[in-house]
Amino acid sequence: MTSTLPSSGAAAGPRTSKRTEMLESRPVNLDGFVEEWPEKGLVAMESDFDPAPSIRVENGVIVELDGRPRAEFDFMDTFIADHAIDVDVAERANAVPSDEIARMLVNPTVGRGEVLDLTRGLTPAKLLDVVKLMNVVEIMMAMQKMRARRMPANQAHSTSARDNPIQVAADAAEGALRGFAELETTLGVLRYAPLVAIGLQIGAQAGRGGVITQCALEEATELDLGMRGITGYAETISVYGTESVFVDGDDTPWSKAFLASAYASRGIKMRFTSGTGSEVQMGNAEGRSMLYLEIRCILMAKGAGVQGLQNGSISCIGVPGAVPGGIRAVAAENLVCNMLDLECAAGNDQSFSHSAMRRTSRLMPQMLPGQDLVCSGFSAVPNSDNMFAGSNLDVEDYDDWNTVQRDLQVDGGLRHVRSEEILAVRNRAARALQAVFAELDLPRITDDEVEAATYADSSADYPLREVLEDLKGAQSVMDRGVTGLDLVKILERTGFSDIAENYLQVLRQRVSGDLLQTSAILDADFVPQAAINDANDYAGPGTGYRLTGERWAELKRLRHVTSAENPEEEVS
Amino acid sequence: MTTTLGPADYPLSVRRPDLLRTPTGTPLSDVTMAAVVAGDITNEDLRVSPETLQMQGEISDAVGRRQLAENMRRAAELTAVPDEEVLAIYNALRPRASSRQRLTEIAERLESVHAAPLCAALVRESAEVYEARDLLAPEGE
Repeated sequence: MTSTLPSSGAAAGPRTSKRTEMLESRPVNLDGFVEEWPEKGLVAMESDFDPAPSIRVENGVIVELDGRPRAEFDFMDTFIADHAIDVDVAERANAVPSDEIARMLVNPTVGRGEVLDLTRGLTPAKLLDVVKLMNVVEIMMAMQKMRARRMPANQAHSTSARDNPIQVAADAAEGALRGFAELETTLGVLRYAPLVAIGLQIGAQAGRGGVITQCALEEATELDLGMRGITGYAETISVYGTESVFVDGDDTPWSKAFLASAYASRGIKMRFTSGTGSEVQMGNAEGRSMLYLEIRCILMAKGAGVQGLQNGSISCIGVPGAVPGGIRAVAAENLVCNMLDLECAAGNDQSFSHSAMRRTSRLMPQMLPGQDLVCSGFSAVPNSDNMFAGSNLDVEDYDDWNTVQRDLQVDGGLRHVRSEEILAVRNRAARALQAVFAELDLPRITDDEVEAATYADSSADYPLREVLEDLKGAQSVMDRGVTGLDLVKILERTGFSDIAENYLQVLRQRVSGDLLQTSAILDADFVPQAAINDANDYAGPGTGYRLTGERWAELKRLRHVTSAENPEEEVS
Repeated sequence: MTTTLGPADYPLSVRRPDLLRTPTGTPLSDVTMAAVVAGDITNEDLRVSPETLQMQGEISDAVGRRQLAENMRRAAELTAVPDEEVLAIYNALRPRASSRQRLTEIAERLESVHAAPLCAALVRESAEVYEARDLLAPEGE
């Protein structure tokens, strides 16, 4: 066919319209998109190369799983068959047609417990078969019922491009005050970890007592800081969906299961981490779809007896984000986590798009139905300071987030806080850290740094630290065996009794073990709220978690709300 | 314990503080700021006891979380194992880190020294699977 397109006649190629030029310059076109390649596992959740569901049980042992006989099991199959799937219901559950299970998931008159009684026996391929039938709205409907805890919550990152512990403390204090239930940090220079983890903990307890904190490091150091009581929980315990990638990560389901018991033995809350796209990104998806492999991860976590999982693609979000239906698959993986009765820290974590509209649409499937933790890393620092490679949401989005909560009457775990209150907790966190550093004979925190922390936005707003001196100090914290209890004592004797008391309350949780139960967080009265005493009881309209009363009144407030009686006045 | 705990007992720190003691035997109610300042509380006190983990496991079981309960019971066993040894066992369980003999020794030690049969079973099971999947280190390493 002869082209009928107009030609510019110039060597620069065909002439484009002003419209096309405008669209070409839109941020969304900076994002990467790629065709599916199912043979290599570059496909979200619908692949001809995924196995068909099957199960066979003999003498109480699963001898066939998704078309594979036991003799051919890889270690994931073995672990899932022997630990994750409840054999007593397996054959009955897998015999239920997938569309029937999918309908039970969206039908509010079918209780969560009734669904769990089936899902605890399903194979990976069967779970995939069920969620494949569901569109994104159905996935959200199911999430609303199936998430473990009734009241949703949120988690933030507090990090610093300069690993500045004062910045981390001040931003943790602000984040805690704004409503995050959990705060996470990590490092640019790993040796800074003890100082930054101390800053995070003190900042959190200065902002709102009971917020729990973690420092993402390699497994052994992370456990060490936890055992000392410098951090309160752990999350970056990665698991993978294929044996080869698991081994590349220098772990197995048995090493990770042992680690889960190790954390629990010290009274420390822990969850695993996994996500769609990690296997294909690490180059060995064994020709399976991203969601099929992720479902194997979720089952592995279940089998290990860990209370929860951080999933929702997390650091691999660029992979599902680039393929058709990828963000639907990410929502589906959160749902499967819910269907297996695990706490879900639901992603909305690493940044994946230049488009504000795409960033928002990506978080709707978790924010609207609610998740145990809607984000597993809203950046409570500017993304330029985010050492987890940036988040889908950062401090620039605080007011937008609060407004969306108010517009849709949805609880995303945050609230607007007046500037004076924020300045007060930032200042107090920085002063408390100043006192702790002085008592521990660590490099001095100056009054100028405290002043900077009070009013700063990013790490660029702080005086530079003597990094080498700080690193020596960090090492001495480890060498001297400084513990959380030491920090409590220092805070108490230096005039920060309130922060000391909050910190001690968090440490006391390790004695009770209450935070080891599914989806446990601490409320402002230090009462553990888990999927036991705050179990999700959604059963249709008018039931489950409802944003009403005092909490709704709180979320009606924004930075600028005009008084109805006096339009000249703001009431925030 | 004569009765089995259930969801009504959770959170233990609020509903059943009478049952909670630190590993050194201090009642949780005695873990106060005054006691901390007086130096009566050590970091060792701020740990979970095996009895408490067993109780949490009962609650997990009662709400239908079998695997979580099993983890609580393995954890109860590990409370007796020193930090360094816990980390060493974890490292030994990494792929191709240990020979079959080494894993067997770890399992035996868990059983005989630490009275940790559930953890020992997990280690033994890993040895079986690692052998089948060629994930053992050669003997002598």
